[in-house]
Amino acid sequence: MTLPPFALVRPTTLEEALRELTEDSVPYCGGTELLLAMRAGLHRPDALVDLKRIPELTGVRVDDGVLVIGAAERHADLAAHPLLLERLPVFARMEKHIGNARVRSQGSIGGNLCFAEPKSDVATLLMALEASVTLVSPGGRRTVTVEEFVVGPYYAEKEPDEILVDIRIPLRAGLRGAYVKFQTMERPTVGVAVLADDAAGWYRLGVGAVGEVPLAWSFGSLEEIDPDDIASRVDPTPDLAGSEEYKRHVTAVYVRRALAKLEQVSS
Amino acid sequence: MTESVSEPVATSGPPRMPVTVDVNGVSVSRQVEPRSMLVDFLREDLGLTGTKVSCELQVCGVCTVLVDGRPVSSCTFLTADADGAAVTTVEGLSDGQTLHPLQESFVDNFALQCGFCTPGFLMMSKALLDGDEVPDREAIVEHLEGNICRCTGYEPIVEAVEHVAQELRGGAHG
Repeated sequence: MTLPPFALVRPTTLEEALRELTEDSVPYCGGTELLLAMRAGLHRPDALVDLKRIPELTGVRVDDGVLVIGAAERHADLAAHPLLLERLPVFARMEKHIGNARVRSQGSIGGNLCFAEPKSDVATLLMALEASVTLVSPGGRRTVTVEEFVVGPYYAEKEPDEILVDIRIPLRAGLRGAYVKFQTMERPTVGVAVLADDAAGWYRLGVGAVGEVPLAWSFGSLEEIDPDDIASRVDPTPDLAGSEEYKRHVTAVYVRRALAKLEQVSS
Repeated sequence: MTESVSEPVATSGPPRMPVTVDVNGVSVSRQVEPRSMLVDFLREDLGLTGTKVSCELQVCGVCTVLVDGRPVSSCTFLTADADGAAVTTVEGLSDGQTLHPLQESFVDNFALQCGFCTPGFLMMSKALLDGDEVPDREAIVEHLEGNICRCTGYEPIVEAVEHVAQELRGGAHG
């Protein structure tokens, strides 16, 4: 099906990109969600502002104990990135299993968050990791947590004149992490992230895909994580992947599996 | 190949932008609309109809082509984003005389059935086998999970790819 016509703008600096954003023009990167939304008639922008040529939106680096990932980085590159493999392997493993190989070749991490797809693996793990995002607008720069950013199904708390620049994940020396998911179709039925920093007494659990937005909680120990209690805390959306009751069941099963997998992970 | 193909700049109709794409070793220059999808560019502008279109949702994989060696859904990939890149389609697998080992193996393993999904499976498989490591069966199955065969010919398809992987590994298993 042919898309409605639009102009394609290709800024090379953040400032230029911000100037190009208007009520009728939208940021564009991999297009794995935007072009589908346009094809479905949900978006009809006059112009796409391609962010792929802006250096500030690329690269992975460690900045003062925080892992900083450029918003335009593609999933396949993150899955294989040496810095991620070394410093946050749970994240690289999650990226390796997003969508399918074509989506991973094309889709960006920033686009994934901005579209707030309810079944996003990325948002679930980032919430569990207490990650933040940096947003830039003509008025300045702000940092918000992923939990504050991904607030509803297909709804991220981003103004039309803002661009997501990077994702910031606090690094922890002794972090162990596991992300497991159950998936029979193109998107997961449930995704569970469990993270443990034993030295700091820091434990986090994130559950995504079952409901409208991922949820994450903190615990004082792994023993405090009760899979049946977690299943009662989620708010499943009944859909083709299953009923509310079924999704609560698989949530409990996958929380157990995530905890079991964490036992096998040394870092 | 160094062949180069270009056409005159359009003087009417919707705004267009110039692209130069290396398609199966041939440099092609065209003026395309920003909304031009790579699959339409390949099929309609270049007549390379080996690449098929089905779901248009990046789910089924029949439109898979390689852009700079990476598999993409050409149904949801702007032609403009292929400017300056090398695109490989199923027509680029064979040299016209000798089938690619994957094509040979698909024939040998009866992995074709109706054939509609075959170009996508071949290109996804090529992307996998071109990687740093020779995949095992589990990795092949996982990589191909993103492609749909409505004839449900998955077992012979996986076996065909596994056969080539084993040959790449030195024939130790077959």
